[in-house]
Amino acid sequence: MRRFYNIFAIAIAMIMTSCLTEDPRDQLYEDDIYNNANNIYINAVAVLYNYIGGSADSEGLQGTCRGLYDYNTLTTDEAMIPIRGGDWYDGGLWENMYQHKWNPNDLPLYNTWKYLYKVIVLSNKSLSVIDKYSHHLTIEQKTAYEAEVRAIRALFYYYIIDMYGRVPLVTSYEQAQNEVLQSERSEVFRFIVNELQEVMNLLPNERSNKMGNYYGRVTTPVVHFLLAKLALNAEIYCDDNWTDGVPQNGKEIFFTVDGEQLNAWQTCIRYCDKLAEAGYQLEGDYSYNFAVHNENSNENIFTIPLDKNLYAAQFWYLFRSRHYNHGGALGGSSENGTSANISTVLAYGYGTDKVDTRFEKNFYAGIVEVDGKTIMMDNGKPLEYHPLELKLNLTGSPYVKTAGARMAKYEVDRTSHSDGRQPDNDIVLFRYADALLMKAEAKARNGEDGSLELNEVRNRVGMPYRKATLENILEERLLELVWEGWRRQDLVRFGLYHKSYDQRIQLPDEGNGYTTVFPIPQKSIDLNPKLKQNVGYK
Amino acid sequence: MNNALDVLIGQSAGVNVTTNGTDRLAMLNSIRVRGTTSIIGGNDPLVIIDGVTSDIATLSTIYPADIESFTILKNATETAMYGSRGASGVIEIKTKKGTGRGFQISYDGNYGFESMYKHLQMLSGPEYIATAEALGLDYNNGGYNTNYHDVITRTGLIHQHHLAFSGGSENSNYRASFGFMDHNTIVKVNDYQNLVVKLDATQKAFNGRLIGDFGVYGYSSKIHDIFDTRMLFYSTAAQNPTYPTGPDANGNWIKNSAASHINHPGILLDEKNDSKEMNFNTHLGLKFNLLDNLNLSAFGSYSYSSTGNAQFCPTWVWAQGNVYRGEFKGEDYFTNIALSYNNTWGDSHLEATVSSEYLKQVRTGLWVQAKGITTNDFSYNNIGATSSRPFGATGSSYEDPSLASIMGGTTYSYKNRYAVSATLRSDGSSMVSDNNTFGFFPSVSLSWDIKKENLLSDVDFVTMLKLRTGYGQSGNLGGIKSYTTLNTVKENGIVSINGAPTVTMGSIKNTNPNLKWETRSTFNIGFDLGLWSNRLMLTSEFYYSKTTDMLYEYDVPVPSFAFDKLMANIGSMSNQGVELGISVVPIQRKDMEMNINFNMSYQKNKLLSLSGEYNGMQMTAPNITPIGSLYGAGQNGGNNNVVYQIVGQPLGVFYLPHCTGLQKNDIGGYSYDIKDLNEDGTVDLSDGGDRYIAGQATPKVTIGSNLSFRYKFFDVAVQINGAFGHKIFNGTGLAYTNMSIFPDYNVLKDAPEKNIIDQNISDFWLEKGDYINIEHLTVGFNVPMKSKSVKSLRLSASISNLATITGYSGLTPMINSYVVSSTLGIDDKRTYPLYRTYALGFSVQF
Repeated sequence: MRRFYNIFAIAIAMIMTSCLTEDPRDQLYEDDIYNNANNIYINAVAVLYNYIGGSADSEGLQGTCRGLYDYNTLTTDEAMIPIRGGDWYDGGLWENMYQHKWNPNDLPLYNTWKYLYKVIVLSNKSLSVIDKYSHHLTIEQKTAYEAEVRAIRALFYYYIIDMYGRVPLVTSYEQAQNEVLQSERSEVFRFIVNELQEVMNLLPNERSNKMGNYYGRVTTPVVHFLLAKLALNAEIYCDDNWTDGVPQNGKEIFFTVDGEQLNAWQTCIRYCDKLAEAGYQLEGDYSYNFAVHNENSNENIFTIPLDKNLYAAQFWYLFRSRHYNHGGALGGSSENGTSANISTVLAYGYGTDKVDTRFEKNFYAGIVEVDGKTIMMDNGKPLEYHPLELKLNLTGSPYVKTAGARMAKYEVDRTSHSDGRQPDNDIVLFRYADALLMKAEAKARNGEDGSLELNEVRNRVGMPYRKATLENILEERLLELVWEGWRRQDLVRFGLYHKSYDQRIQLPDEGNGYTTVFPIPQKSIDLNPKLKQNVGYK
Repeated sequence: MNNALDVLIGQSAGVNVTTNGTDRLAMLNSIRVRGTTSIIGGNDPLVIIDGVTSDIATLSTIYPADIESFTILKNATETAMYGSRGASGVIEIKTKKGTGRGFQISYDGNYGFESMYKHLQMLSGPEYIATAEALGLDYNNGGYNTNYHDVITRTGLIHQHHLAFSGGSENSNYRASFGFMDHNTIVKVNDYQNLVVKLDATQKAFNGRLIGDFGVYGYSSKIHDIFDTRMLFYSTAAQNPTYPTGPDANGNWIKNSAASHINHPGILLDEKNDSKEMNFNTHLGLKFNLLDNLNLSAFGSYSYSSTGNAQFCPTWVWAQGNVYRGEFKGEDYFTNIALSYNNTWGDSHLEATVSSEYLKQVRTGLWVQAKGITTNDFSYNNIGATSSRPFGATGSSYEDPSLASIMGGTTYSYKNRYAVSATLRSDGSSMVSDNNTFGFFPSVSLSWDIKKENLLSDVDFVTMLKLRTGYGQSGNLGGIKSYTTLNTVKENGIVSINGAPTVTMGSIKNTNPNLKWETRSTFNIGFDLGLWSNRLMLTSEFYYSKTTDMLYEYDVPVPSFAFDKLMANIGSMSNQGVELGISVVPIQRKDMEMNINFNMSYQKNKLLSLSGEYNGMQMTAPNITPIGSLYGAGQNGGNNNVVYQIVGQPLGVFYLPHCTGLQKNDIGGYSYDIKDLNEDGTVDLSDGGDRYIAGQATPKVTIGSNLSFRYKFFDVAVQINGAFGHKIFNGTGLAYTNMSIFPDYNVLKDAPEKNIIDQNISDFWLEKGDYINIEHLTVGFNVPMKSKSVKSLRLSASISNLATITGYSGLTPMINSYVVSSTLGIDDKRTYPLYRTYALGFSVQF
């Protein structure tokens, strides 16, 4: 009898435990999605392209708000979001960005960190997956897949060092939490360059911006552009003590390119030349690069593919900038925010008789017309943007709603979804005009004359010759590349970012340039106390 | 009293029913028994209706007339019988069954109306114009004087009918009831309809050795909800009052485009947010009397629920329109088998029970969201007439968690004076990791009936004196989802591969393969005292509980984790309190009777830790985490956090900059003068800056009271409740007083005079939340009946939401002060206008 009870008890326990196992039906195990070469490509490599663009705040390399783009644009002399009465105060967020009064506790800084490192960790995971399931792959496939993942990872590390300076270099999915330690910026920089140089010839040497097999992917020309960018900023990225007042010298920073020792400027020039060799050239029409259907541009190098019906990535910047009635007239709505700074419109010659031809392509100013009709505000008066009335706090100003020139640049997709946040224009991350300006600058910094490249860019838009002085090149970068998210990096490279400019006054202790990198987010430090805050931040 | 939740309000110490101060019938109802003990969830008590596992939404559909009794179980030993499911308290509802006294029929009806008695006082049209003129501001004049509260509200109507009949004999009886309610609230689009059917039968056989219970319960409800409550009330308050109430002759609405956070309230009434719920459950219980003192019971139940949601936003609210349909179905299979034994030897009495139970749930969902509508005429009824259903807008889900338990319990009592009980329980769940499937949760309790001691037997005025104490543990998994422990993948995006859009898959969360039960250990000690034939009764209890291995989505570092949250068992939290109940019968005569019931509960919650070990790693967490902030024009992000979770403090504290007063600013108004608390020379409003803990969001003390008085055939009853010791952040006041939003947005009548042009948060707008609320006042008349066929007839009249006594300056202090969420403690533009319900009741029994 006792034996019977024992058996009974064991049987019950077994039945109960077996009734308590999970058998997911709307999810799969990893073995099921890495089961052949094609699926490994989709789920370990291509999956990472989901994170190039974004649809939520602080996610995506461009297109959304409160992330990389805002920190690279709204903290500079290019543009700001002024306080407009009840709008855009937002707990001081935009005001503090413009004035460089950001704080390690700022949520967008933490969210941006999380976004960038998520892609790093997922890339490491992909490498681990490719290795684990390599029995499904040929040697060529394995090499090609790994190369593409490593290139994406290097791309994200580039954005990370540009933002945060001293950061953890995590290169393996198996790396334990207590081994996540900060590396010097120069060390991460060297890692990025080496990785890119190792993989660039393993990638498809194809155009990434065109629809087809390589659409949106990191291909050889994308890596070449990125290497040129890294070399151009090498003085900054190699400086591990950016507040000590001792700059690095690009002529003394060397890279091995095609078996040759080249200094930073020569390296930049060499990679720019590779883009020209690959057939990239300026489009005859500046605006074509930003058209609704800009996939066939010969100038764009790397873009975020947008399609309101297919992809989730969004583009908020036109929506965020235009006046409400302006957005309304275009079939969506708007937030009446971002405006070009006064120093920016003055650089274009606004208000003079020599206005840069790119002004009207990049900005809305004055009375706005849509379909030949003047847009009326709710009070029945015509909508007129006043570029020179911009102030950080417009509350109480008669131009509270209308001060500031607004963002144009991208052609308006009248069929956009989400009130204008989901157009079909691909977002331009890298383009050839930038490569020309990089080359001009590298030449100038290397003691050569970059006027040819500078004026190739100016000629295209019908602007007269200028000599390639560093000052002219910096201004040309603003005129040509406004709204493209480069301004902070350019000002840092020219040593101007931490100075007073436009309506901004240098912070009392900012002279040493500590604001040229952002603070490590406080929450990241709280969660990993081994991380040290960047110099100058509390 | 419309539903069972109203019955619960004010009935038991330590039980807080929150209706979010808005719509008393909305399914947002939450009940907390002894406060919040888990951050992640599972704080709603288990609701058991006639033995069938249920939930608060179903409870709210039960008619008071169908309730025989309800019992609230709070102590670990009491809830042990329900194991993990009852970790946050248990509300046991017994519904009425056939009486076995032959055929009976009864009807209860309630007919009432609701009317708004208070709303925010904003500037009228002329005041708005005068203010804008005086300030020299450019404003839009639509030429009208509109009070938008008139646009969105109406006189609410409610009527409900309940019919019950029962019959049968001692051995075999039944009861059936039908209920119907139709409720049109004071907000034009907000309606509820509910149909309830209930049937119970009891059969005895073999000389009463077998008792069988069979029951069916079902309801069907339709809800027309407000699509976005805050948007509607924000728009109603802040819209330009010079605009007309409706569209112009061509059907176009005048736009106030500059006020981008709001819309014309009239337009918003065209948005739809409808749902339809069907719920069916049935149970069968059998009790065998095997031997004289040995009983076997078997119980099984099946429930099916279906919820259909449908939402629609026309193109004049969202540029491409928005249509959403979702269907969610759930099935629960539950069985319980128990063997119980009881015997008495001389002065000793023993009861012992062993039982096992198994619960399997299946949840499926299907949803579609579409944009790009070409006509508004389809509403949500033809989702095919849309142009865009991108990735992520269509989905389906499947989940089947299961729970199994074995329990043994025994109670020994001696001379009916001393009793000791102990239970040992093992709960197993599919949702924890395989090596932690089962959790063991013992409990023990002691009680002593002192009145039965010789010492007190001669003391006549003491009619009852009992002392009890207990200690026990229970497990909780509420709030976690299936597959948390599995390293599974799902679709996570869509990219272009070889020119074709392709769905990719990957992990979408951090996986915790070691997830285990959250454990709550509770100690309680209390007494029951009855004096003068129990005309004065006093009951009191002290409890202390500690939640360990606390389940929570902990912040984890990225890198090395890919995602920033991890469901894990790391931290701990404590709750303690004292509950006091007093019942007095000052008058008890044939013609006159008076009853006073009063209960009070003091609660103290403390978040002990969020740090600890995970997989051999020491995890540290930020000690200060924001959980609630303001929303609205100029209030998106930045230093806008109000309510925080801080280690060492109760869940939900206000952590704010300190305002010392107002100071003139350079734009012609006043700003909040914020103190440099850390005296570093700069005022820093950020989370780590010049802030201090300014109070807690949850009440320290809650009270509930029922007073009733009867004189002959007339009776009067009042239900009162209250809460004390907490604070409320008056975000509504802050936003509608800030003159920087004017004239795009309207402001409160006193705002121009105050002339504050500042929207920084600070303790300036933190107020005491103490209140006493008179929930219901009912006057009844029991018509004396001489007729044999009519057994009773009663007429009554009642007023609900009679009055609130409070020092809080906002619309009402009855906001969410209990449930830990982003709305905790913050009054932020979403409060329903206040209304009273006036109702007449009629009930008759044959």
